[in-house]
Amino acid sequence: MMTPKNNIVIGIIIALLVVASYNVDANPIEFIEGLPNLAIVVEEMLLVEPKYVPTAIWAMFETIQMAFIGTIIGFAIALPLSMLAARNLNSKYVYAPIRALLAAIRTFPSILWAILFVIMVGLGPFAGVLAIIMYTIGFVSKLQYEAIETIDSDPMDAVSSIGVSKWQLIRYVVIPESASHLLSQLLYMFDYNIRQTSILGLVGAGGIGFYIINYIKFFEYGKAAVFMLVVLITVLIIDWISVKIRDKYIIKSQHGMEVTTK
Amino acid sequence: MKKIQMIKNQTLSLISTKKIIQMSNVSTSYDSKNFVLKGINLSIDRGTNYAIVGQSGSGKSTLLKLMNGMMISSNGTIKIDYVVPDMNDKKFKKMMHTIGYIPQSLGLIKNITVIENILIGALPRLSKTQSLFKRFPEHEIQEAKRILKLVALSGKENRKVYMLSGGEKRRVAIARALMQKPTILLADEIVSELDHVTAHEIMDLIADAQKRMNLTAIMVHHDMQLALEYANRVAVIKEGEKILEIGVEGEKIVDFQTGDMSAEEIMEMYNDDSKK
Ligand SMILES: Nc1ncnc2c1ncn2[C@@H]1O[C@H](COP(=O)(O)OP(=O)(O)O)[C@@H](O)[C@H]1O
Ligand SMILES: [Mg+2]
Repeated sequence: MMTPKNNIVIGIIIALLVVASYNVDANPIEFIEGLPNLAIVVEEMLLVEPKYVPTAIWAMFETIQMAFIGTIIGFAIALPLSMLAARNLNSKYVYAPIRALLAAIRTFPSILWAILFVIMVGLGPFAGVLAIIMYTIGFVSKLQYEAIETIDSDPMDAVSSIGVSKWQLIRYVVIPESASHLLSQLLYMFDYNIRQTSILGLVGAGGIGFYIINYIKFFEYGKAAVFMLVVLITVLIIDWISVKIRDKYIIKSQHGMEVTTK
Repeated sequence: MKKIQMIKNQTLSLISTKKIIQMSNVSTSYDSKNFVLKGINLSIDRGTNYAIVGQSGSGKSTLLKLMNGMMISSNGTIKIDYVVPDMNDKKFKKMMHTIGYIPQSLGLIKNITVIENILIGALPRLSKTQSLFKRFPEHEIQEAKRILKLVALSGKENRKVYMLSGGEKRRVAIARALMQKPTILLADEIVSELDHVTAHEIMDLIADAQKRMNLTAIMVHHDMQLALEYANRVAVIKEGEKILEIGVEGEKIVDFQTGDMSAEEIMEMYNDDSKK
């Protein structure tokens, strides 16, 4: 609806857009003038050099392994922290500091963690794995404790009234009740981490990005293209697999839960 | 001639060991302004089948939550087996496993199996490592299977709970409570949504378990007829107050507040109330 109030809001947004574009030198004319350059890059990329395919696949495999380790370990560390950060399981004195800690971890993008760990443990995939672990802890813990907080309070109350311990409550109610959400988050995180790990090589933290950035530096777009193509295909395959897994396991159990609420 | 038995509840000694639940002058509120229970006095003998009846919103569920320590009363005293019910109190926490509580929503875990739900009732008896690794001792599994048979769910132990019918879900909730080896069973309107036949099946099941295990059952009902059919005692709650308490002896109903009344008269009185 175009109320006067909405018009003012839209006006302000447009003004901010213009100011911000000016500040960051965003210039549509430059963009259009730059298009021929893109054509050159694309043309050179089309000169794909097939003999680099095995190296690219191997580099991608390393990337996937880094993402896999980082996701699993990060997820496993995040889970107990989330149990402590959930408001429906803890007193304020427990969840507030844990939430603050997790929020602090979350402020760093993965590339910054990677730089930090390259300084700490040196160049290579290990720094990348550590970066993915830290990023995963910050990111997935928020998803986890939000999922835990949406658990139906009825089974929690009913089982608490049996006189079980807090750990038994977590083991026998919280985990089963949030299992489908947790599994879906794990898949999402792995999928997301493969993309992230692909660029950590830019700062020397291992993975396929290391090759891509180096070939681009030396204008070897044909070689870079091979590696980028492998990333693209891998991401598409992983996407497809996680959709399949989600359909098979997660949607089914959530549907089951809906049926019972009727 | 009706055989009349006067129940002199007000004069019964409060120290009698027969008393398993005692409430005196209990009032409570959710917002410390509007009292949803006002000056409730209750005294329940061990082994009684006690019914609480009232319109929705009258405070029945709140009354049960006070009995299992999930809520704490604002005024008055409550004693369950001489202990003040408060789930944050260590002494009461230790005896919580002796109180089986079935909420109106049943509180089952929907995406695990029937037998897994029932075994949850045994958790207070498990050691830390047993519960961490889900290692239920063989005798607990046998006990769960025995109860499964008792509630007529044999053969369905590996079904996920969300696939069960309303009647079957209630049987699982009862089985979980029985698995606790309780001395008190609190059940909140668990047959209200069921059809007549299924409701009676469930009530028969509880009556049977109650006799076998010498349980004190406190059941909230919406339906007065059903309460009169199964309970030894019926308390009627209206707008947070206990307006009537009746003893039921087979077909004969004895009222100690307003004098002798027949089942029809009680029903009439209750129906008048629920119409208002
Ligand atoms: N969690 C709650 N917060 C605030 N008010 C509540 C809550 N639960 C129940 N009430 C109020 O307390 C009164 C009694 O509720 P309840 O004990 O559930 O009645 P009944 O079980 O007889 O239907 C109602 O007026 C209800 O609105
Ligand atoms: Mg109720």
